[in-house]
Amino acid sequence: MSFAYLVSLLLLGSIAFALVREMRKASPRPAGLRGHIRARGWGLLLLPIALMAAAMTGHVHALAVVELATAGALVTWAPRLAAKLVPYALLALALFGLILAKKYYDGFSNHVDYGLVLAGPSSWRTRLVLPQAALFFVVGLWLLVVVRAPGAGLIRALAGRWLDPRRGGIAPVQALLLIPVTGLAMQLLGPGNWFGVQALTGLDVALIDLGVATATLVLIFRSRAWAATLAAAGLLVLGAYGWVVAAFWPVVPGFAYGFADLHNSPEHAQFWSVALEASALLAAGLWLAPRVMREHQMLPADSELAARAQQLTQRVQTLTRTRSEAVDTAVAELRRIERDLHDGAQARLVAVGMSLQAAERLFASNPQAALALVGEAKESSSRALTELRDLVRGIYPPVLADRGLGDAIRALALDTPLPTVVDVDLPEQVDLPVASAIYFSVAEALANAAKHAHARSVRIVLSQAAGMLRAEVTDDGAGGADPAAGTGLAGVERRLATFDGILAVSSPPGGPTIVVIEVPCASSSAKTSSC
Amino acid sequence: MRIVIGEDLFLLREGLVRLLTAHGFEVVAAVASAPELLRALVEERPDVGIVDVRLPPTHTDDGLRAALQARGQVPGLPVLVLSQYVEQLYARELLADQAGAVGYLLKDRVFNDDQFTGAIRTVAAGGTVLDPEVVQKLMVRHSRTEPVARLTPREREVLGLMAEGRSNAAIAQRLFITEKAVSKHAAGIFGKLGLEPSDDDNRRVLAVLAYLGSC
Repeated sequence: MSFAYLVSLLLLGSIAFALVREMRKASPRPAGLRGHIRARGWGLLLLPIALMAAAMTGHVHALAVVELATAGALVTWAPRLAAKLVPYALLALALFGLILAKKYYDGFSNHVDYGLVLAGPSSWRTRLVLPQAALFFVVGLWLLVVVRAPGAGLIRALAGRWLDPRRGGIAPVQALLLIPVTGLAMQLLGPGNWFGVQALTGLDVALIDLGVATATLVLIFRSRAWAATLAAAGLLVLGAYGWVVAAFWPVVPGFAYGFADLHNSPEHAQFWSVALEASALLAAGLWLAPRVMREHQMLPADSELAARAQQLTQRVQTLTRTRSEAVDTAVAELRRIERDLHDGAQARLVAVGMSLQAAERLFASNPQAALALVGEAKESSSRALTELRDLVRGIYPPVLADRGLGDAIRALALDTPLPTVVDVDLPEQVDLPVASAIYFSVAEALANAAKHAHARSVRIVLSQAAGMLRAEVTDDGAGGADPAAGTGLAGVERRLATFDGILAVSSPPGGPTIVVIEVPCASSSAKTSSC
Repeated sequence: MRIVIGEDLFLLREGLVRLLTAHGFEVVAAVASAPELLRALVEERPDVGIVDVRLPPTHTDDGLRAALQARGQVPGLPVLVLSQYVEQLYARELLADQAGAVGYLLKDRVFNDDQFTGAIRTVAAGGTVLDPEVVQKLMVRHSRTEPVARLTPREREVLGLMAEGRSNAAIAQRLFITEKAVSKHAAGIFGKLGLEPSDDDNRRVLAVLAYLGSC
């Protein structure tokens, strides 16, 4: 074990110590070790990467120490920055691998730890430098997108045009089997080792290796189905070939097969190694082949059906969620109405009845007192009416029932204490449930503008375009509205989700606040299909 | 005084007929739907039509529409609109023709005989009666903006009562001040709002409402 590894272990230990100490400090957010690990996320990858980098620079101990210490400090105290650095570190590692491979083919004579292998001038493991570099490259690009580091947008835009949109029934791991297959095939048939005969040397081999590694990865990402097909074919052929080698050895000339180097060390133990590897390959091939066949037997129409089924599954999930939310909201609403009626109008009507009853009894003996009681009853019934009116407005605004969405929003604007401009361009008939959802959403936005934003004026635009009903509420208030913070806008979001509607809020500090509500006129729900 | 009633709920219709008859009004027609109401209003030409906003056949604002249509055919036909709820939007539509002789009240106001019969007489005489709830919303909207913000609290009170359609005498009675004091406040209000002063009660109400409803 090299000195660099010792130092690395020491450093890892101290970082773990620091983490535990920080964890013990009363930190309100991440709870326990899991919380700490989760809070650091992809940033944790910086540690093994730093370990690899330290191992590479093994003989320059000071550099290794600095690398590990920096990585440890970043992961501990700046987890977000660490996560963003991971993809770049991987890309740098890939570049280094490329340079290293070229140096070996040019006659570099030192041993270097690269990734998982100790590469050296005459070791077969040196061949693994390039595939590892390609792997680091691809994973680096992928993480760039995942952690949203700078440059992610570009990668995402390129990938969107290029990645396989139709995954079909092939799992990623099935396509990834192509990597060991290609590695083994290159070892057997590669340009530097044509069944044990040195064909090419130097940079040519490096470039061909790099090309094959890249092509393999490209195929895996571009078309999972074909990558898995090639992997299945390769597994079967190479496995069968391994059995032939094992059966007829040493008649068949020796060469490198997986971990067995029959060319350089033709002992009997190597026979078992080949047989074992060949069996594993055959087993994997026999497992994969029928799955691949099934994928290819699917007619294009079938795969379209599969894609459609996937869409429908997602749709059902969304509908299940929004339906349960809608039911919850409806039940909560009914409970509120029941409570309001029970404590309000009902109680007041009981009071009216009691007052009238008492008045009836007093009518003959004390007309003056009876009259006062009748007055009380009148007062109570008046209050009951006011309360019922407020309740009805909250359930379904009468003006919305009378006049539809446009006029209801105009009436709403008139009742707002803020000067409000309303601009309506809507179809004649908007379905009542959709109209109600939009009405209450706009009401919430208006109430926020008046209450929280201290706006001076508001503009409401109702329009319809491209099959969407759209309401835009703009105020000139203080801004800083956050749908995640309050319950009001979150409730609006839930209400709209039932109709596949969305809420978007732009509210920079200092304003203006723009709330956009969009609901499709024609959705898959029969209830919301007319407008 | 001849009255036409448009109200679809039997209990309320009969209650109104009984109440108005008891106060010496003559109910010439009591109908239950918007088309009947329109016909009765145009044919009977009552002194006041008392109209429920929500009527058959669609049970939306058919009553209001019938009333507006009747006033279209018979300009200035006095109409008192009753409703379970009041909307500024509907108040604006009723006031839009500037002809006066319009009332818009919550149904609860019927509880107060004097106030209700007073409103019927005001409308019959070409005046305007607006529910306090509508006026309150109008005032809230203007309370923060110039020049209404410059009015004294007392002047604002008087402005609100003027907007409801009350005469100087009624305002004086309500606020326990003399009619002269009311006139002085009114002059102050009209001066601050930049409105033409007027002795005619109806004209004054319309001017105030036009001002408050203008934004």
